[in-house]
Amino acid sequence: MADREAGGAQPPAASPDSAAAEVAALFALVSARYGGRLDARQLEGVRKAIEAIVEQARAVRAVRLGNADEPYPTFRPYRADEAPRP
Amino acid sequence: MSLDPVFMPVRQLAEHVRARRLSPVALSETFLARLEKIGPRYNAVVTVTRERAMAAAQQAEDEIAAGRYRGPLHGIPYGAKDLLATGGGIPTTWGAAPFREQRFSEDATVIRRLEAAGAVLCAKLAMIELAGGMGYRQPLASFTGPCLTPWNREAWSGGSSSGSGAAVSAGLVPFAIGSETWGSILSPGGNCGVAGLRPSYGRVSRHGAMALCWTLDKLGPLALTADDCGLVLEAIAGADPADPTTSPRIFRYESTPVARRFRFGVLAGALDGVSDDMRAAYDRSLEVLRELGSVEDAALPELPWEATTRIILQAEAASAFEDLIESGGIAGLTAPEDHFLPYARDAVLAKDYVKAMRIRSLMAREADRLFERYDVLVAPGRLAVATALDQEFRGGMRGTARDIMGAVGNGAGLPGLIVPNGFGDRGLPTSLQFLGRAWEENTLIAAGRAYQARTDWHTQHPAVEA
Repeated sequence: MADREAGGAQPPAASPDSAAAEVAALFALVSARYGGRLDARQLEGVRKAIEAIVEQARAVRAVRLGNADEPYPTFRPYRADEAPRP
Repeated sequence: MSLDPVFMPVRQLAEHVRARRLSPVALSETFLARLEKIGPRYNAVVTVTRERAMAAAQQAEDEIAAGRYRGPLHGIPYGAKDLLATGGGIPTTWGAAPFREQRFSEDATVIRRLEAAGAVLCAKLAMIELAGGMGYRQPLASFTGPCLTPWNREAWSGGSSSGSGAAVSAGLVPFAIGSETWGSILSPGGNCGVAGLRPSYGRVSRHGAMALCWTLDKLGPLALTADDCGLVLEAIAGADPADPTTSPRIFRYESTPVARRFRFGVLAGALDGVSDDMRAAYDRSLEVLRELGSVEDAALPELPWEATTRIILQAEAASAFEDLIESGGIAGLTAPEDHFLPYARDAVLAKDYVKAMRIRSLMAREADRLFERYDVLVAPGRLAVATALDQEFRGGMRGTARDIMGAVGNGAGLPGLIVPNGFGDRGLPTSLQFLGRAWEENTLIAAGRAYQARTDWHTQHPAVEA
């Protein structure tokens, strides 16, 4: 059940400054991992892609869900004797 | 051969083959010759499987002559997107230079099912490298070069099932198999002016297909008509122990037209950013659809439909190709942007991916609720006609562009169908897309079939000189 349906409060809107800080932190992470392989133009492309990812992530985070709202599809434990056979 | 099989729908070909007016061997010779001669003109073909095709065609011919007719795909040539594994030493390149010598020991389930139906594999068809999952932004993103739409060789075929769309459009094969994670069947269907069917997630086994995103990947047909897509889907659908995501639901194609009125819904936001020529063709299509039923505005609740599906796609694609990305192997890909964009995927946080998967449950329920009021949602097939070869395109699966039909359809695992509905700028095809309830491919195809019964866009073909 979504909190929206249950009357849950909406989270406070994130500020542009915090988005920029998040982009900077994530860009620093990616640069530290792969920067040695990339030139300045490619790094700028990575930074723009991270900006889009952060924008998407913040849209996802803004949705309020209830505690019982599970990921889809639901994980099931495995047992060989219950698995489908070819 | 007195009958010309080129540009003949599968249904008609099948009638002639069954009645032995067309020979499977002669059919295969015709299409193999076109694949070899015309295919390179459009960068549509990776490998022509001549030896395998002729053996299968001869077998089909012998069986039919002996009275053992298997069904409507028996003896019918086809092509497969080159992400479907094929045994027998035939390469499976995934459209990517680092994998151009890759070979598998056995066929993908879809290839095996088509073989069981008697269809004749004639070619492995070109595709965008790694099904576009690295973030490509322009048509030159395959080691076989940019695939061209047969309607205008200065424009892109669409992707990532590029060759599957171009080969059907140019009459190189009667039907083809493509795959869609987000847009990869509908895009080439639209750009090449053919029908493309994205089945419900779990309808068709992906065993033996390159994985891009485990919870988004689907396989489906491209053909000249919606009806042909139904014939092919019946042959490839069904549970497969080798793909645990497949559904036990049985698909039987209901090909007999039933007099019915459709309830069409037009989703709010589906027209955002649509070009003038695509919009004009869409408006004309609505007039036809109003003859078939009601057309009403439809709305979904405010949710980050595109962002949710993109987060899932980027996280899963980064994991699926972790080795290639971490090793720096992406530097061997063709598209310059594919050399660096995948690194940005490290910025997708685990918590955000899980949240997206939780929102997905809500998306699936809300989308299904909408189909209590509508049989089918309709929209322009694409935002615009095919992009010029030297231009970036606007795609739904990256960035922040709107693509509500693609986000809902792929995020919620719903079937989609695209059919041609006119011509726009530079003589390029425009298109109309239908979105259906989960497992309601028959309703979707019936709507497409009814539209095509009242229009003749699907009977028009590009001028392709043999």
